[in-house]
Amino acid sequence: MAIEMPADSSRNETQRRSRKRRRSYGPYLVVVPVMLTIGVFQYYPAVNGIFRSFFAWNPAGDSPFVGVQNYARMMSDSAWWLSFRNLGIIFVFGVASWSIPLLAAELVVSLRSARARFVFRTLLILPMAFPGVVTALIWSFIYHPNDGVLNRILRDAGLGKLASNWTGDPALALGALLFIGFPFIAGLPFLIFHSSLSNIPPEIFEAAQLDGVGRIRRFWTIDLPLMASQVRLLLFLAVVATLQYGFVAYIVTKGGPDNATAVPVLQMLNEAFQGGDWGYAATLSTTLFVITLAFSLIVMFARKKTSRAASEDGLM
Amino acid sequence: MAGVQTTDERAGVVPARPLARETTPRRARFAPGRRQWGITITLSAIVAVSLAPYLLMVFVSGKSRQQYEHTFWQPDWPIQWSNYAVAWKQIAPYMLTSVVVATVSIVGIVAISAVTGFVISRYRFVGRNLFFALIAVLLMIPSISSLVPLFVMMRDFQLLNTIWVMIVPHVVGGAVIGTVLMRTFVDGIPQTIFDAARIDGASAPRLFRSIMIPLSYPVMGSVALITINSVWNDFFWPLLTISDNRLRPISVGLLFFSGQNGTDYGPMFAGYLLSSLPLVVLFSFLSKYFLAGIQGGLPGSH
Repeated sequence: MAIEMPADSSRNETQRRSRKRRRSYGPYLVVVPVMLTIGVFQYYPAVNGIFRSFFAWNPAGDSPFVGVQNYARMMSDSAWWLSFRNLGIIFVFGVASWSIPLLAAELVVSLRSARARFVFRTLLILPMAFPGVVTALIWSFIYHPNDGVLNRILRDAGLGKLASNWTGDPALALGALLFIGFPFIAGLPFLIFHSSLSNIPPEIFEAAQLDGVGRIRRFWTIDLPLMASQVRLLLFLAVVATLQYGFVAYIVTKGGPDNATAVPVLQMLNEAFQGGDWGYAATLSTTLFVITLAFSLIVMFARKKTSRAASEDGLM
Repeated sequence: MAGVQTTDERAGVVPARPLARETTPRRARFAPGRRQWGITITLSAIVAVSLAPYLLMVFVSGKSRQQYEHTFWQPDWPIQWSNYAVAWKQIAPYMLTSVVVATVSIVGIVAISAVTGFVISRYRFVGRNLFFALIAVLLMIPSISSLVPLFVMMRDFQLLNTIWVMIVPHVVGGAVIGTVLMRTFVDGIPQTIFDAARIDGASAPRLFRSIMIPLSYPVMGSVALITINSVWNDFFWPLLTISDNRLRPISVGLLFFSGQNGTDYGPMFAGYLLSSLPLVVLFSFLSKYFLAGIQGGLPGSH
């Protein structure tokens, strides 16, 4: 690779131009194959998915153009929109559940001993290290109607009447799914709360203490406002993550019973792999893609705005 | 990157007020001298609840079916070590697939992203910024949305049910994140180091080998951890593309393993434990980089 070093910004324009003329094609030997691979395996499928959403796509045979017919069908597909209702519940519950990581983060940063802070922080995020499938499988065992731990606890505590088929009862299944991972500490919210709280300058607390500000009031008047930008970012990230929600539901309830835990990702996969309706699946995935992309863009701009604060937290 | 540093670790790099740091505790949020039993007990309770499912896994993995039925609540001897042997026999092929996929992917990703990041960062050529923008934009595309067309493409390439159907998407997806991380990192290396080496007569490959590679070991480590984490947690893609049981990676294999064992919970939980070990061990030793990896994989985080 006979490549020249880049023209430094300190070099003047004429020199740069003269170097340009002598430029070798070395960089392209590296970049072009990489771009081609990325084009084939990342851009092409994404674009092809959008393209195919206008066809009655049959990968093995004829695929007639159907215009926006798939989209019209989606608009009146009640199961599809119902799955967004579940997604909305999952999102709202997820945000509400941040109160526990927030409490945990407040408690951890309140510890005076550095070692205790380290130990608790590590133990609280340890569940993140377990593979998601393992966590989902353990929880689905906890919910097992006969041998499960939850019902066993209830029976042994004399509350056998409360024992239920947690993941098999349409009224309970979504709640059971939501509760997976309780107390929800091991995750990004805790990490973000923890790092923003531990980066609030101690002088602020000293000043507040002198002014006689109590613990509760300090939380509302100092901690929360100083975390506002991180919380906003976290909200957008949670939207993007929620839209991708699927595999835990697949493992624990398979979207059932009776569509009680159906989510868009599972609906999309069902249309393609069970229904064989590839064009319609492409329509659903394009819709999901557009929604996610919109929120990703918001995340990016929110991130830019908060990047100063976040880089001070060491989050970048 | 390291969102997990404690304030004290951070304080070490701030030379401005070292004395103040030593004399007054950084977190003087409560009246000094008061014991923090309340906080410690509350936190211990929270830790106990969050680790309970995993402790349950360890607990059950040592029991036989009879022990599970009759002495559920207490530890019971003998511990059934044979559960682990039984489980290992079943999940070893899945683990092997995941290890192979992860290893090949890491080698591919590190090689591609190191070279691409280096070239994009240090060489000026027409289309440089366009190439980089085209790569960085992909971070915002959710992989789940191109899953269906990618599946059809892999089928047309006749790659379904081969190990390549898992490796290729990991390598390409990982190369995207890796290149962005690498480029950002190489941008941060002072140009003077490269200039000095060039004056000493170093060629481009030499610059890459002797300066760029040794300096970027930490980034490569992060990329490797992101990759292991994503291979171990990849679920839908192998579920849909792999039908040969022996080729299944651990994420999907575990689901089938769990189904096959019915109510034999001892070996089942031993299998869960064994398949968690690689990630848990890595996390224990490298939690800082591990978390950097988790945060590095966020959409819009670059």
